[in-house]
Amino acid sequence: MFDPCAKCEEVLQPFLDRELSDAEHAQAEAHLDQCAYCRRRYRFEERLRMYVRQAWAEQMPPDLKAKLAALRTPLY
Amino acid sequence: MRAVSESSRPETDAQRIAEESRDRVRFEEEVLELADQVYRVARRLVSTREEAEDLVQETYARAFRSWRSYTPGTNLRAWIFRILTNLNIDRGRREQRAPATQPIEEGDYFLYNRLEADSGVEDEERIVQRLSQDRIVDALSSVPHDFRDVIVLVDIGDFTYQDAAQILDIPIGTVMSRLHRGRRILKQELAEAAVGEEA
Repeated sequence: MFDPCAKCEEVLQPFLDRELSDAEHAQAEAHLDQCAYCRRRYRFEERLRMYVRQAWAEQMPPDLKAKLAALRTPLY
Repeated sequence: MRAVSESSRPETDAQRIAEESRDRVRFEEEVLELADQVYRVARRLVSTREEAEDLVQETYARAFRSWRSYTPGTNLRAWIFRILTNLNIDRGRREQRAPATQPIEEGDYFLYNRLEADSGVEDEERIVQRLSQDRIVDALSSVPHDFRDVIVLVDIGDFTYQDAAQILDIPIGTVMSRLHRGRRILKQELAEAAVGEEA
């Protein structure tokens, strides 16, 4: 039997990666509109991703860009 | 006729050289604008800041040397990230861990379900904040490299599945399966870390 929540769980990752077709995306959104259970889990996943990206983001050391520029081919 | 052709050739050569210099300078400037993004991805492909700096410098040295192999108008980001990932593999920096042998959770909702059950709250924001940022960094380093490379390209580099496939020279189906499995392993690590924090 078709289980819409199981289907929604299955497409969670490609949904957030914006890799679903328009039809698949619309189908998932229609289910999310009426299912608080899946909606809460999608919102969690979205926040988790933002939180994880913040944790992984590390600024480039300020002197590295100058070191990279120094690797350019001299003009003369 | 000969005199004309000889006098015009240096001018043509000079023009060609000048055009090439302009193209090269433009290329170098465009590629340097990507340095922050290249560093952010490199930093999560390797273990330490020093390794990441070395890797980025090697990437740029190679990119500047082989700028003629870049076709203007094609995806410059994908081009430079391909150099980065190839160098990372070539340099044997990947002390490949054995692939995770423990069974991984089947569903994508399990981390939420687990954390919700542990905390007794339903608020997504509060549940996410139960995970410490240090634990999240540690969790990524415990994901085997093949999986981690794909996660880093998609989640930090913001590449599409198609671009990640092109950069890593693997089929798009492999990108999807590695991403899928890699994220499951990551979530499993996070679930264990969260439980560890409770103890």
